[in-house]
Amino acid sequence: MSARFPVFLLWLALTLAAFAACRSESGPARFPHQVHLAGIACGVPGKPACLSCVSCHDVVTHDSGQRMPRAAVCERCHQDTHQVKAVLAVAPIRPSGEIAIDHDKHLAMPEIRGQCVPCHAGVVDAKRPPLPPMSQCFTCHEHEQQWAQAQCTPCHESEALRRTMPVTFLKHDTGFLRHHGSVMAERQQAQLCQSCHTQAQCQACHDVTQDLKVETRRPEKIESGQVHRGDFMVRHAIEARSEPARCLSCHTVQGCDSCHVARGVSANVANPLNPHPPEWVGTNTSSSNFHGAVARRDIVACAGCHEAGPATNCIRCHKVGAYGGNPHPRGWKSARGVDQEMCRYCHE
Amino acid sequence: MSPISVSILLFVARPSAAEEPQRAALKAPKAEAPDRFSVNAQSETYVQLYRRALVPGQNGQVVPTELAAPIHEYVSANARDVDAPWQKDSIGLEFAAWGRVWPTDSSIERPFDGDVQTASIRLEAGPAWARVGRQQIAGGAARFARFDGVMVGARHLGFFLEGYGGFTVLPRWNDQPGYHHLGAAEDTLLVYQPPAAKRGNYWLTGARLGYQTAKVSGSLSFHNEQATGGVDRRNLGLDLGANPLTEMSLGASAMLELDSMRLASARLFADATPHPLFDLGAEFLHTEPALLLSRQSVLSVFSTDGFDEVGGALTAKIQRWLKLDTNGYIEAYRGTGPGARGDAAVRIILGSAYPTLVRIGYSRVIAPKNGYQAMRLSLSRRLNHRLSSTLEAYGYIYDERVAGYKTSSMYAGTASYQVSDPLEIMWTASVAQSPFAALDAQTMLRATYTFDRAAKPRGY
Repeated sequence: MSARFPVFLLWLALTLAAFAACRSESGPARFPHQVHLAGIACGVPGKPACLSCVSCHDVVTHDSGQRMPRAAVCERCHQDTHQVKAVLAVAPIRPSGEIAIDHDKHLAMPEIRGQCVPCHAGVVDAKRPPLPPMSQCFTCHEHEQQWAQAQCTPCHESEALRRTMPVTFLKHDTGFLRHHGSVMAERQQAQLCQSCHTQAQCQACHDVTQDLKVETRRPEKIESGQVHRGDFMVRHAIEARSEPARCLSCHTVQGCDSCHVARGVSANVANPLNPHPPEWVGTNTSSSNFHGAVARRDIVACAGCHEAGPATNCIRCHKVGAYGGNPHPRGWKSARGVDQEMCRYCHE
Repeated sequence: MSPISVSILLFVARPSAAEEPQRAALKAPKAEAPDRFSVNAQSETYVQLYRRALVPGQNGQVVPTELAAPIHEYVSANARDVDAPWQKDSIGLEFAAWGRVWPTDSSIERPFDGDVQTASIRLEAGPAWARVGRQQIAGGAARFARFDGVMVGARHLGFFLEGYGGFTVLPRWNDQPGYHHLGAAEDTLLVYQPPAAKRGNYWLTGARLGYQTAKVSGSLSFHNEQATGGVDRRNLGLDLGANPLTEMSLGASAMLELDSMRLASARLFADATPHPLFDLGAEFLHTEPALLLSRQSVLSVFSTDGFDEVGGALTAKIQRWLKLDTNGYIEAYRGTGPGARGDAAVRIILGSAYPTLVRIGYSRVIAPKNGYQAMRLSLSRRLNHRLSSTLEAYGYIYDERVAGYKTSSMYAGTASYQVSDPLEIMWTASVAQSPFAALDAQTMLRATYTFDRAAKPRGY
């Protein structure tokens, strides 16, 4: 197959996708709050009474699902019941889930004076979200102690937190994925991460003993930083060389070979193909193909096949008295004595 | 999730009179805030279908192929903030497990497989807490480990202390049927049967002492893991974090391998938001790979070479509908030239209620011996409040041929339908052309059933 063919297909798909995106419907329009609140002639003889937020929304009710107006409220003015149903069918997007807020108490406060718009500015300003961002709450509520302990409940519901990405505190951006382990360690593990995440969620990525990779389980998450997406089968050898030992964050070196053996691509099967170049072993230690320097640079890659305890074939040449020489590099030291079991493989 | 499981979970998680106060609160809005607890359970069923070959065919053998139609089941459940007799909101339960059936004939797969991933209960009493059962420890000196045992902790005036111990969870699949070991005395292939692991030889213990405020946090951790023969890992970890400004966070971590008294890894990072439109990140990482191998590995004493990586990331939210993500890192290895990796991606969101997301990404990796360029196009579209879909295309060009091929490509798509609030069905399929397969086609059906139950103040 020509090398250009996949690239051509990719660009074709790109063009089609861009075309589809441009033609996409934007879904139901945003509800015209401003028209209802300020654009209707009202309050004079012959005109209806002026509307306020509570004309349609029952903000005192407990269940936020009940705060949306019922069709009968709209149908007092709008006769097109089909349109009313279509508008009411679109629930507002709540990126942070339900928030525990006592509307009644807030509206009675002198700073707010019964006004909804200072918090819900988005209903009259299309550039702002209809629901207030957390920074809006923090203009009055400091919650310093809860912030320090990353205690999100009870303002946020615990199950809503599973779907809520932090925007300011512990922003989960591209860099976060690389150092999230350190963040876990420096704070109270049980308090911080597990206020949103379960252990099972960690293990969806880190437990490599499970059969399905997270990429297989969540193919629709096209924006997540999943490591093994796409053609990882071909890429994995390159990735392992690019960042030696990164694989060990989740995998054991035994895992490399148990997979390779199972699929028949390991040297550790009957009739193996030797993956090493000429002069990999032998007496020509000055050869650029000689294994010594490569092994020191990426010993984890060697371990991927050769990790077998006392059966490791490296011992044959490198044990004390054999012709392979001392394998310990300059500067190497160990607190263990040579009578330890692992050391005795070579130091008989 | 079967009705019986749900009933058991509800029975276990039902707090003391948790729901009665809520009903009362509905009648009298200004009554005392009701108790809160939550129970979440999820069942995911996966049915896959594909034909696979064991590549590359040893010594030119004809490649055998086999039809695979595995069925996987994942179940998870957790309950939080359940009342205990001694304290409100003080019990948490978590359970997660998976199972697999392999109904077709296979030379390498077992007909049935599965494991319990997590089964733990967490109890709180005042400033102290304890967690018992199958659980995990993550971060710091431990990196990531699963164990069956106990973890206890306490916090006071910003300080926290955690300790844990138990038996390491061993990978069940480490037995290698038909394993021949290369080498030994006469370069012959000997059948090597690793000794069966004795569970009692694999145990771990560790502790963590830390301090945490809104501005600074840090911890010192110790992890000791034993395996047959002696110490498997014994590390000391230091992790520090600071938020000197609202727009900036700094962090550092280091792990000292105690046998050789060398730094196994060290990391410095800084994240900043200098302008609301931009997020910046910078990072330095040093790793000594040999120190991350088991101390029982002969190869772990063959190298002291390190590997350094430095780089950063930039995210620009140019418009609400347009975002740019870039990152780039340079790697330095001893003995070979430098390597590099970088990504650049543009994300466009069109529409609001039913948005269309288009993401176009380019990646470049330069590594010893080989590297690649990749392009990825992703399209996600919500068609209505029940139906959504994604399409993805990947193209790779390798610097050096892999098994004689210079390129590979892959196309994948999903379609999800929300049947009802708790039930979602997703169908996915992919087609790929790679050095290992002239045509790789796979398909999968996923059914997700999510059960949530909560009792807490809902926007009172």
